[in-house]
Amino acid sequence: MKKLLKFISPFAPDDSGACSVLYELGGITVICDAGGCAGNVCGFDEPRWFTKKSALFSAGLRDMDAILGRDDRLVAKLAKAQQQLEREFTAVVGTPVPAVIATDYKALERMAEKRTGVPCVTVSTDGTKLYDKGEEEAYLRLFKKFAVEAFPQEKGTAAVIGATPLDTGFTCADRIAEVIKAEGYSEVKCIGLDSGLDEIRRITRFEKIFVIAPSGIRAGAYLKESFGCDVQFHSCPLPADVTDKLSKLSPSGRTLVIHQQFTANGVRELLGGDVTCASFFMMDRSAAEEGDFHIADEADLAEKAAGFDHVIGDVSLRRALPDFKGEWTDLPHFAVSGRMF
Amino acid sequence: MTEAFYITAEELAAKGFENTPDELMSARHLIYSSPATLNFNSPGAKGFGVKRAGLAIPGSVMLLVAPGCCGRNTALLNELGYNERFFYLLLDDTDIVTGRHLTKIPKACKEVCDSLDYTPTAVMICITCVDALLGTDMERVCRKCEEATNVPTLPAYMYALTREKRLPPMAGIRKSVYGLLKPQKRHGDRCNILGYFAPLNENCELYGLLSSVGVSTQELARCDTIESYHRLSQANFNLVINPEARYAAQDMEKRLGIPYIEINRFLRIDKIRNQYRLLGQAIGVEFDDAAYYENAKRKIESFREKYGQLSFAVGECVNADSFEMALALTEYGHKVSEIYGTVGERNFFYIKKLAELSPDTRIFSNLSPTMLNYRRMTHIDITIGSDALYYHPDLPNVPFDEEEQPFGYELAEDLMEQLSNALEKEGK
Repeated sequence: MKKLLKFISPFAPDDSGACSVLYELGGITVICDAGGCAGNVCGFDEPRWFTKKSALFSAGLRDMDAILGRDDRLVAKLAKAQQQLEREFTAVVGTPVPAVIATDYKALERMAEKRTGVPCVTVSTDGTKLYDKGEEEAYLRLFKKFAVEAFPQEKGTAAVIGATPLDTGFTCADRIAEVIKAEGYSEVKCIGLDSGLDEIRRITRFEKIFVIAPSGIRAGAYLKESFGCDVQFHSCPLPADVTDKLSKLSPSGRTLVIHQQFTANGVRELLGGDVTCASFFMMDRSAAEEGDFHIADEADLAEKAAGFDHVIGDVSLRRALPDFKGEWTDLPHFAVSGRMF
Repeated sequence: MTEAFYITAEELAAKGFENTPDELMSARHLIYSSPATLNFNSPGAKGFGVKRAGLAIPGSVMLLVAPGCCGRNTALLNELGYNERFFYLLLDDTDIVTGRHLTKIPKACKEVCDSLDYTPTAVMICITCVDALLGTDMERVCRKCEEATNVPTLPAYMYALTREKRLPPMAGIRKSVYGLLKPQKRHGDRCNILGYFAPLNENCELYGLLSSVGVSTQELARCDTIESYHRLSQANFNLVINPEARYAAQDMEKRLGIPYIEINRFLRIDKIRNQYRLLGQAIGVEFDDAAYYENAKRKIESFREKYGQLSFAVGECVNADSFEMALALTEYGHKVSEIYGTVGERNFFYIKKLAELSPDTRIFSNLSPTMLNYRRMTHIDITIGSDALYYHPDLPNVPFDEEEQPFGYELAEDLMEQLSNALEKEGK
């Protein structure tokens, strides 16, 4: 039966992805929920929760708020929080509750901006999609709202889009910056990871913009189209010890790498040989090679993984392949299992 | 920037519950999901939330019918060995608007049951805010599932939207997990302890006291087979030790004819003694709790003697009422500088008492957005609760949030012992 999971737990949802992008930008982020979604984000999907403070709140909706569509109350609470915390912007992230009652996010955005006096970004996630969709929309909304000015380009600088813990397994930007710097850049900023809103505002100053996850592709395309930015796909950097470990593998037969597409591509570059990449998440055709495939669900994984001799992917997925007899190399994906590298 | 909001016990008592400041009332502000508040925020997250609690019936499985986001943190329970008991029917954006998923649930249930190499004792269908808004008739859905599988099916309502209603999620799930029990002949010498999803600590005196008057105890958490689970309906009475189990007890009284007696968890040993006296009167016996009382009293006094007057910060993520705990510590000769808690009608009584003994005690709400700016402004020697630890990572801490539940004199003794251990670890 489609959408029935018997072996694996649900992956990080779109609202978690949106929050992951917004987390370090210094605004007030409100998850438009009753409390459970915020608990999932903060207690599970946000590994920075215990190390980096963020003004990430739950709207604390109650049944009558939803039934009567009391957006004015939400805006009043948001305005009060803004008065107390004085942040540069506010953001509202959607969940299933506003989706059921068809919340008008545009109206909410306007109301919030009027009451708080600072910009508001809304992300119309509904908790039914995967994290990368939420990240994609959040990046796009942020750049459209804040990257409105073209700055003089600075030589040797690079920005990275798609660097969230859900995509990369990193909670700080060091390793990603190290890898990109080794390619000849003197300054590297990961958007939303160890950097704030200012880097979004001044995104056009960067000589190069690297996209390291499919969730950043649309934002990259927008920046290219609007400002002529030099945007390029880049495989997602892995920790040095993982790179070493994977480099030493000499898999025989057919190898399947399962991760977010740009991490999987990076592993293929390391391994060489007969390697196929697959993902439960978004896959961009231009970044795929022939034979790469999208995985729709557990049953689809079982069907498509048959015939591979070696799988490199999060070990929590192995449960969904009880008949797999080949070799399995663990490659944690935070959005899948909640495990870091 | 606003400093973290607080009010002193004296000021709050003077205002009265009706005039509690907005910052202490979660319905009137955004909710700060600080690490301290995750227990509050997610009815499925930590400890025994709805999802884990719903699997309290031995041999049962759970089908979570919800958007993926509602089941995400269930992966946390995999580490506890629950992954073979959880199944998910994920809803898409059309489902959550049209409710078309309801017709798929019986089929999904059947597929889950068929995939197992055993017959589960029950299937718990867990639904969330989406179905709360759609007004899903889960009793009907469960009947349809039973027809499809021949396995008893019960609802588990994880409705975060109704947290402050008459039947909040954790009270509802307590009712559900006793839902399979059928009326049968009751035994005059048996009682059920209702309250938590983990058992009381082995050395809790409640077991010994009841046993000394010929009453044997049963707890859902100690039922490891479906047969022992069904024996729960043979009890002569239910002893409710957590108000969240009251609704389940009322339901059992109505369906099974089992009456209930409600008692409270205290840290103040005089109250504990009084409560045992009243309990004895209610069941027509007299408990001899003198030795337990003296022992607890001795431990409390020797702790005070050894460490002198300490200043505490008391959180709410503890196996106790944080305001009653603060009052008890004050009565035992200590100071309570700060409390991080949720003010309610029920615990306002303790705040009034506290205002008399410790008027300067500062009361904060973990849930207030202003807690993002919290800084320590008072003298604190030691903290109780994982939330208090979050604010004061540099101070000795006793989490006091173990799964096995402390109760009665044993709670007081256990706390003193843990406090001593924490202070000794710091070389104090």
